[in-house]
Amino acid sequence: MIPALAIENYGLDYVTPAGPVAVLRDISLEIAAGQVLGLVGESGSGKSSLAWALMRHLPRNAREVSGSLRLGDVDLQKLTPKQLTEVRGRRIGMVFQDPSTALNPTLTIGRQVTEALQRHRGLRPREANALAIELLGHVELRDPAGIMRRYPHEISGGEKQRVVIATAFGCRPDVILFDEPTTALDVITGARILDLFARLRAETKVAALYISHDLAMVTRVADRVAVIRYGRVVEQAGGSEIFRAPRTAETKALVASVPRPERRLVNDKPNETVLLAASRIDVHYGDRGLFRVAPPPATHAIDLTIRAGEILGLVGESGSGKSSIARALTGLARFSGDIFYAGRTLHSGQDMNAAYRRDVQIVFQHPDSSLNPRQRIGEILSRPLKLYGGNPADISRLLDQVRLPAAYAQRFPHQLSGGEKQRVAIARAFAARPKLVICDEITAPLDVSVQAQIIDLLLALRAETGAAYLFITHDLNLIRQIAHRIAVMRRGGLVDCLPVEDFDADHVHPYTSELMAASPVPVG
Amino acid sequence: MTFAWLIRRLLLMLYTIVIVGVLVFAITQALPADAAQTLLGENASQEALAAVRARLGLNDPVWLQFVDWATRAVVGDFGVSMRTGLPVAPEMLTALSRSLLLAVCALIVTVAVAVPLGIFAALGQGRLADTVTSVVAYLGVSLPEFVTATLLALLFTDRLPWLPATGYVSPLEDVGSAIGHLVLPVLTVSMILVAHVMRMMRSETLDVLQSDYVRAARLKGLPEHMVLARHVLRNAMLPVITIIALDVGYLLGGIIVIEEIFAIPGIGRALMIAITTRDLPSIQAGAVIMAVTYALSNTAADIVYALLDRRIRYD
Amino acid sequence: MIELLIRLMRRPQGAIGLALLMLLAAVCLLGPWLAPYAPEKMDFLGRFRAPGWQNWLGADQFGRDVMSRLLVGARATIPMALAATLIGTAAGAMIGTASAYLGGRLDEIIMRTIDAVMAIPGLLMALLLVSTLGNGAGNAVLAIAVAFTPSMSRVTRAVALNVRHQDYVKAAVARGEGAAWIIIREMLPNVMGPIVIETTIRVSFAIMLFATLSFLGLGAQPPASEWGLMVAEARQYMHQAPWVLIAPSAAIALAAIGFNLVGDGLRDALNPRDER
Repeated sequence: MIPALAIENYGLDYVTPAGPVAVLRDISLEIAAGQVLGLVGESGSGKSSLAWALMRHLPRNAREVSGSLRLGDVDLQKLTPKQLTEVRGRRIGMVFQDPSTALNPTLTIGRQVTEALQRHRGLRPREANALAIELLGHVELRDPAGIMRRYPHEISGGEKQRVVIATAFGCRPDVILFDEPTTALDVITGARILDLFARLRAETKVAALYISHDLAMVTRVADRVAVIRYGRVVEQAGGSEIFRAPRTAETKALVASVPRPERRLVNDKPNETVLLAASRIDVHYGDRGLFRVAPPPATHAIDLTIRAGEILGLVGESGSGKSSIARALTGLARFSGDIFYAGRTLHSGQDMNAAYRRDVQIVFQHPDSSLNPRQRIGEILSRPLKLYGGNPADISRLLDQVRLPAAYAQRFPHQLSGGEKQRVAIARAFAARPKLVICDEITAPLDVSVQAQIIDLLLALRAETGAAYLFITHDLNLIRQIAHRIAVMRRGGLVDCLPVEDFDADHVHPYTSELMAASPVPVG
Repeated sequence: MTFAWLIRRLLLMLYTIVIVGVLVFAITQALPADAAQTLLGENASQEALAAVRARLGLNDPVWLQFVDWATRAVVGDFGVSMRTGLPVAPEMLTALSRSLLLAVCALIVTVAVAVPLGIFAALGQGRLADTVTSVVAYLGVSLPEFVTATLLALLFTDRLPWLPATGYVSPLEDVGSAIGHLVLPVLTVSMILVAHVMRMMRSETLDVLQSDYVRAARLKGLPEHMVLARHVLRNAMLPVITIIALDVGYLLGGIIVIEEIFAIPGIGRALMIAITTRDLPSIQAGAVIMAVTYALSNTAADIVYALLDRRIRYD
Repeated sequence: MIELLIRLMRRPQGAIGLALLMLLAAVCLLGPWLAPYAPEKMDFLGRFRAPGWQNWLGADQFGRDVMSRLLVGARATIPMALAATLIGTAAGAMIGTASAYLGGRLDEIIMRTIDAVMAIPGLLMALLLVSTLGNGAGNAVLAIAVAFTPSMSRVTRAVALNVRHQDYVKAAVARGEGAAWIIIREMLPNVMGPIVIETTIRVSFAIMLFATLSFLGLGAQPPASEWGLMVAEARQYMHQAPWVLIAPSAAIALAAIGFNLVGDGLRDALNPRDER
């Protein structure tokens, strides 16, 4: 039986002004008909480039240096542009990462679905229309006929992704490539898309290449998993096998970095003294414009307490208000309500005195924007030292504390990697010897292995200094590894606040169980 | 496009007109310490100065002058020309109509030439046609209108004496001659506008070509001509309206120079004559009319754009 | 700084632009000494002489050497345009930054008003001001500066807002830094880049605007050899002596192109660093 997709010894370079850069080398993968192959790699591993190569949509400076790509009996590299338009969509389809940019904003949904159906299934407009409605219903969209008439901005991200999936499946291809289809979506929405995929795949028996950075998620949907690193496939094995018994060192490191809730990293019990208590916090954004009314508050009467030395996790999806709490506690957003700290009551950002600002520090999500690009690392770190009465000569000690070489003090932020920039941001926070460090989704943009290192660093710093953390994240598995208590937020309200031991009991809020069910725990 | 948005947009236009009025008045009448002196020059006699002051109401406090001026301006009465003694507004409006003829012709030529050229350049990005058009566009933007106008006049009336150098003939009298007289001015204005619009169209089209949804359309297996027609062109054409609206402002400025050079009795020329003869009411009328035209065209463009682009609901 | 210049020169646009600018600077500084004749020197025997070894770019209706007038006229054109742009940028930057910092309703009111002011096209605004202030190069400079202020304030505000929303500024606010420190130490260094780019490109507009005003008789006055004025004077005689027209036109074009190229080149040069 000819495999649905056969990649043999494939090599790809990008030609840059600095010379050719190897993107893929010696890639040999096979997908049998009806099989799902998961391709897992971190950023820069070349996994997306493989998808573009298969779809023959490579950038102008790409050079294929070796190997072959076969789709069934068709040699993809030998297709003429005209033949390509017949193969794309009809025999090999693709589902993209960001559904909001994959749809043309000025055409109706219906048009964008039917044009593919008309092209590849030879249907007349009315037939294509009817089929489109049927397909949209099949991917569990409510009111398919209504959606056909709407424009992309009028439906949600999850709905858009279902439309894209319906279009891809509707053309009945042999293989569909999925390029991180749930990364741009919320955890729960993403989980539902995954379920949809599993169901459709079982029904249509289509072969699939499922690309992701999330090893845990991939092992749930794929028959076989290939791990790719720096352009090479380091290991291939069955889904559950790769987790249970990784063979190569790289795979073992990757597996070890994946957060698993049952593996606790923090085993002490914090004392009971309350460090900071926030009461009935409403966070307000946006002033009244000339004609606009002020938007409603981002959070509704949130109560939170943080004990000295504890790690409090704050979990929620986007729009839940968790970052707003962080901003309120550091005086970056307007709020109503009270904050009790060190015997004082704070009603607003103005009440926050120097002592408070020294004791409560924040580390931001995006490493690229949290460091001033025009200042050297040394200058960035010396400022808080001066401000909080530290010794400017302590910069080397700070860098050492976050495991960066002292020579980095002379560098500019753009010369550091994402993970290194986050370490500098953490060093900046700890320069003040804080009692509470708020971490606002600091590992979200980082690779899983880098994330593991940062978490390690944070725990070590906590052991050294006794600081408490308010750790904000959307990754429930991660927080269950390190937090003492976890608070769950949803649409501005606090839904649950429980000790971590109580987290898999039956008395969590339904939303929390939904969140738990959606967070992929790896098999094995 | 909601009703509320429309109301807000119209209120904004009203605010713009008010500010324009205040500004024009302030610069021309309130700013000079003695406007009468500025108008008549240093050698004017005391009686002449007093007469002018009385005629223009310059002895009143400034705010009263402004209210007086504004209330009359709103109904279209800008006073009487100090040069001809005739009412200013009707003359200016006639002049405006001639300028509008020139402007509309120029806009049509510009859009017809620049939009396809810009799209064409983007489609052939990096190749010879693109580089050539880019260089030509660059040159077009770097030459002031008076240079282009003069050089074109040199070329077409001297070396190749095909066209009349200056002057204007109303199309109501003799269409053929009117067209002949319009060719050079329209050509000049269009050249610069084409350079400008073409650059913008090229960059807009490039953005669309590199967008994720065009990529998705291609990867769905749609034939290239369908991708271009249905996905690329539709979206690339959308900003054309905004670009044109922006250029109306530029057009109005350039028209002053063009009408000077080609002796076309439009509003630009009228304004220049008013300025050199220090005819205050005419200056005020001309400036206000020009600015209001710009504000109107911008508002119209915003409304048309909002009707076409479904994503604009609020500001 | 040196690194920036090197990166600027790597692209052909940047290199050409820089070369043009250096040429302009040399002419502005050394013009009078480089000119073979005095610019006002009339030679009635050499009227309308075609370009040749005696007058490299020919002679005008009074027999004055065109090239000498051009070289000296650079001083009447370029520094004026530069001054006007810098004043306009400074004024615009103050308004724009203040508006961005104040935020909220005040910001919106200021910006709507700026938009309304921009309904008066630049040339018209300059004309109105000159008609009030009187003719002359100095007043023209002021008029152009005022005409540029609204658009520069828009640009500055956009850049300032962008920087204001960056996390490193928020980190400074969370530290409790004072407003002055944040504006000067955190924001300004990051705002400078885009502002410099925009200003450089504006200079080319200023050159053209200044030349236009002089052409219309409202800017530099004869017998100054400002380039726009030279074009105006050459018009009457363009059939007899086209070189008198072409030389200053080309000079204006080259100056404008030079600043444009450098501005575009700076934009490219400042970008790759951020992308990494």
